[in-house]
Amino acid sequence: MGQGAEPRRVQAYDGELGAAVARAQQGDEAAFAAAYRLVQPGLLGYLRGLVGGDAEDVASDAWLEIARDLGRFKGDGAGFRGWTATIARHRALDHLRRQKVRPRSAALEQDVLELAGPHSTHDQALESLSTEYALALVRGLPRDQAEAVLLRVVVGLDGPAAARVLGKRPGAVRTAAYRGLKRLAEQLGPAEGVTDDDPRTLGEST
Amino acid sequence: MGEQRDSGETPHRGPVRPASADAGGDGSAGGGGRAQAAYDGGRAGAAYGGGAAGPSRSGRAAEVVSRSVLEDVLAGAVREVKPDEVAEGRAVAAFTAARDAGAHRARTRRRDDWRPREKRRTARSLKATLSVFLASLTLGGVAVAAIGAVDGQDRAGESGGHRTPSAVASTPDRAGTGVSGSAPATPAPADRPDTAQDTEAHCRAYEKVAGHGQALDSTAWQRLITAAGGATNVGAYCAARLDDTTATDAPGNSGSQGNAPKDTGGNADKNSGKGKSGKQ
Repeated sequence: MGQGAEPRRVQAYDGELGAAVARAQQGDEAAFAAAYRLVQPGLLGYLRGLVGGDAEDVASDAWLEIARDLGRFKGDGAGFRGWTATIARHRALDHLRRQKVRPRSAALEQDVLELAGPHSTHDQALESLSTEYALALVRGLPRDQAEAVLLRVVVGLDGPAAARVLGKRPGAVRTAAYRGLKRLAEQLGPAEGVTDDDPRTLGEST
Repeated sequence: MGEQRDSGETPHRGPVRPASADAGGDGSAGGGGRAQAAYDGGRAGAAYGGGAAGPSRSGRAAEVVSRSVLEDVLAGAVREVKPDEVAEGRAVAAFTAARDAGAHRARTRRRDDWRPREKRRTARSLKATLSVFLASLTLGGVAVAAIGAVDGQDRAGESGGHRTPSAVASTPDRAGTGVSGSAPATPAPADRPDTAQDTEAHCRAYEKVAGHGQALDSTAWQRLITAAGGATNVGAYCAARLDDTTATDAPGNSGSQGNAPKDTGGNADKNSGKGKSGKQ
């Protein structure tokens, strides 16, 4: 099913990331920019799933802290992704806490959900299912499930790293990720016509 | 792979439409392309662990398909990120400012240490080391602290053993200070003749403590010495006492020291040592 493929790819970039971080810690500006470019996409995706529209702002805050505390970090590329995700998470939680005081309009979410609804066949789902829609669905999950899914899938952390970011046991994170994905799948609606298809086929349709 | 099912534009407020991948995500340098390669293919349904793999294999194919589709789509979230020069510039500026201000010399806190495995190993071995250390303190120190703790106790071995961990923790090799410290601390009753168990404990501890001058000043020691009829006789006295009991195997360290009372015993040493080992 190719489940080994993703980690391998991520690790390939992790080597590069780790080297960039090490050089940045020595003062290399360009190396820091390189690390930023490698990490930001995953971070932003995670934050979109957590805080939605304010993801860019939260990410900015996170990078200020990352840039400031860079010297404290110790670890490799994968560790850097975990460390930055932790920082981003704290900023996101602060943001969410502030937001409870100033309620954000729920209308926006509704628009997104209405524009691209679920479809009955998975082909159609493939075509029209947008990332935004999926992320909007993720935001609707219980937060522990949403985070587990995002950290594993979007940020690409392994089980132990995701557990550390969340401050939970790996087993709990595994369960949360599974439940989250299951619930998302249910919300997408049953995918007809694929009952006996070998899931492997889908997996390999690179 | 991603082309088929793509997504709206990056700005969240934009309309969501099934367009082909937008220009930003396509071949643009740096972030987009690399991110795609880096995070592509979130089809690791079973990688989430046994929990996920089990039910999926049991035949809920539709669900599995949806989940892997979902993972792909979610992983697509990273593909969509257009490189934002402004944000990047801001981050780099913050980096430069921090670097020039010397912020990067700050120390690593626990939460900043993300080194792989050897870090975890260290943490685990630290606990292991600590527990072994405490265990050896307990074993070796039971006898020592028992001297002090025994006074006022009915039973030497058991309660002495139970009470020692806390007392012992602070007396690694400073047996002298520990014992003389604990002796006054323990309620010392008026003259109570040593019970047989007391004496055995004292004897065993003697080997540990011998050589530590201060220890021999404590009350318990004094009793032992009196019972033995003088400091020089302690060795032989103890040998005789311990041989009388069935448990000649002294706990841990005493045994490892060869059952031979140390120097202070003087003349009696060699004899008692031999006598003991002979009995064994």
